[in-house]
Amino acid sequence: MSGETRYATITPPAEAAASPTVGQGSQFVGLYARELLRTFRNPWVLVITIVQPFMWLAFFGNSFAAVPLSELEELLHIQIQSYIQFLLPGVLATSMLTVGMFGSMSTIQDKRFGYMKRILLTPTRRATIYLAKALGSASRGLVQIPVMIAAALVFGVRFNGDPLLWAAWVLSLALLGFGFSCMFLAVTSSSTDWQTPGVISNFITMPLMFASGALFPSVNFPEWMRVISEWNPVGYTALFGRGIVVQGVAHWDYLGYVAIFAALMVIVGTLVASRYLKAE
Amino acid sequence: MLADHSADAIWAHDLTKVYGKLTAVDHVDMEVPSGGVFGLLGPNGAGKTTIIKLLTGLTDLSDGAAVVAGYDVRKHPMQVKQRIGWVAAEVILDDDFSAIENLWLQAKLQRLPEWRPRAEQLLQYFDLTSREKDKVSTFSTGMRKKLEIALALLHQPSVIFMDEPTIGLDPGTRRMLWELITGVNREFGVTVLLTSHYIEEADALCNQIAIIDHGKFVATGSPSELKSKVRGDFIELDTTDRVTEAILGSIPGVSEVRTQGKTWVLRTTSAEEVLPRLLSHIDPKDIRRINVERPSLETVFLDLTGRKIDEDNGEVHDYRKFYATVRRARQ
Ligand SMILES: Nc1ncnc2c1ncn2[C@@H]1O[C@H](COP(=O)(O)OP(=O)(O)O)[C@@H](O)[C@H]1O
Ligand SMILES: [Mg+2]
Repeated sequence: MSGETRYATITPPAEAAASPTVGQGSQFVGLYARELLRTFRNPWVLVITIVQPFMWLAFFGNSFAAVPLSELEELLHIQIQSYIQFLLPGVLATSMLTVGMFGSMSTIQDKRFGYMKRILLTPTRRATIYLAKALGSASRGLVQIPVMIAAALVFGVRFNGDPLLWAAWVLSLALLGFGFSCMFLAVTSSSTDWQTPGVISNFITMPLMFASGALFPSVNFPEWMRVISEWNPVGYTALFGRGIVVQGVAHWDYLGYVAIFAALMVIVGTLVASRYLKAE
Repeated sequence: MLADHSADAIWAHDLTKVYGKLTAVDHVDMEVPSGGVFGLLGPNGAGKTTIIKLLTGLTDLSDGAAVVAGYDVRKHPMQVKQRIGWVAAEVILDDDFSAIENLWLQAKLQRLPEWRPRAEQLLQYFDLTSREKDKVSTFSTGMRKKLEIALALLHQPSVIFMDEPTIGLDPGTRRMLWELITGVNREFGVTVLLTSHYIEEADALCNQIAIIDHGKFVATGSPSELKSKVRGDFIELDTTDRVTEAILGSIPGVSEVRTQGKTWVLRTTSAEEVLPRLLSHIDPKDIRRINVERPSLETVFLDLTGRKIDEDNGEVHDYRKFYATVRRARQ
């Protein structure tokens, strides 16, 4: 600067006494409500979330309709009423894989439209934004549960299990959806490209969908697929749900496994996002 | 003067931002007293938006320090953000939400339990009450801009940042916004820091201006102080090849001859005295165009940098082009 300017006082002004840390509850509520409102006001998001798993039941679920039940039971190693009954918990578990993708896409939209800057220019931490997004997309995934169960009833399936166990099943699905949302959002936290969520989704969906007990029992798998399925939270959620829905028994250790998965994802994801979540 | 700068809304020393090899903001010192309208005036790419990002904590400082609304941006970014408002160049709202819902969300983000009366008051002030329940996507650009300013004022900030507040607006809306900005500064008692590359805008709105070029402040002061820094008038001249620098330099009263593209730029003691002499030294047939630049912020910039603020080619003057660019960015 030129010598004549009188600015450039080197001593900074005395700083005001810093108030205690700024709470995040209000911001979280606002952002989470925004996610829900955006979802439920957009009919297309709902249509996609509901139609996709319904198609699975209608087409995939009926592909063994002509096979005698005894043969099917031998192949699946379980006593069932129909393949749809076997499949329902698996399809619901599988569909939790995609909810994270929608969460990522809406985050990238917020970056592109500049809305992320608007949020970050208020006393809102990156972790708060991240958690609201993750919970928002997991909640969106849960919409599928009642719709699917109704659809299965329409297809003539009758279910076992008492309401408390069913609540535990819903919890396992919620945990799975939340875990995958956390994972997706953490991986795409620095991305601004529309394509990224789709690409990642393609990479993880197939292996996690098929290398699990969600659609077929893993006893028929080759060794390498069985190794994946032993680590795969989708499989544990499917088996937990199937135990409740088909046999009326809860394998609590499976629920515990899914809970650990969700906890791990939310901890690691929050750390990643609070560092790498980009404004634009 | 300005010995007690603890009352400053913004204070920065050696403010610097480096992007790879580019130093977008280069060791800038600034001091903005409370209550005024401070303008950052400079061409596209000068570093204006980056300065706002640094002062609002949206991006990390590469060097230096800044205190905004009483808090250190590095140490207490959350406290800074509770006390500042921000209006983006490109109008950022949630298009799927109504005006009142946008205000509600902003209130949530700013942790305001009692937001409704203030929101209603702002809607009234900005003449948006009748549209408060309408989706923002149905709003005109001027209305969107007004709502954005209302969002920025909702939590009663002490400083408000406006990045190119009238870029891409038609002249009518621009006039309306000028009045609003002055009104907001006066009636809400909020310090305004705005950026602009429109000379008239900075001149009309700001009581302090920093002229910025290539990330550095080249001059600071009130508009009249800045104008008094340039002596004499500039004459811009387009001519045929027969006119040379030597001829122009020999005219009494011409103190400097520069070229800007194919245009001659003459610094003169006074245009009234030099113009007649010019016409007697040069065959009028050789002159294609003459333009006199009176002392203005434009000549200040011209004087300091040898260029005009508006000249750069990448400039988007047309608001349709501007919004087309914004739309492309969103695809
Ligand atoms: N995120 C970024 N990465 C790299 N360069 C950037 C980034 N943001 C801005 N720049 C560069 O910094 C310079 C100043 O940009 P900016 O502050 O936007 O200018 P202005 O707002 O005055 O038009 C420009 O050359 C621009 O290209
Ligand atoms: Mg800019």
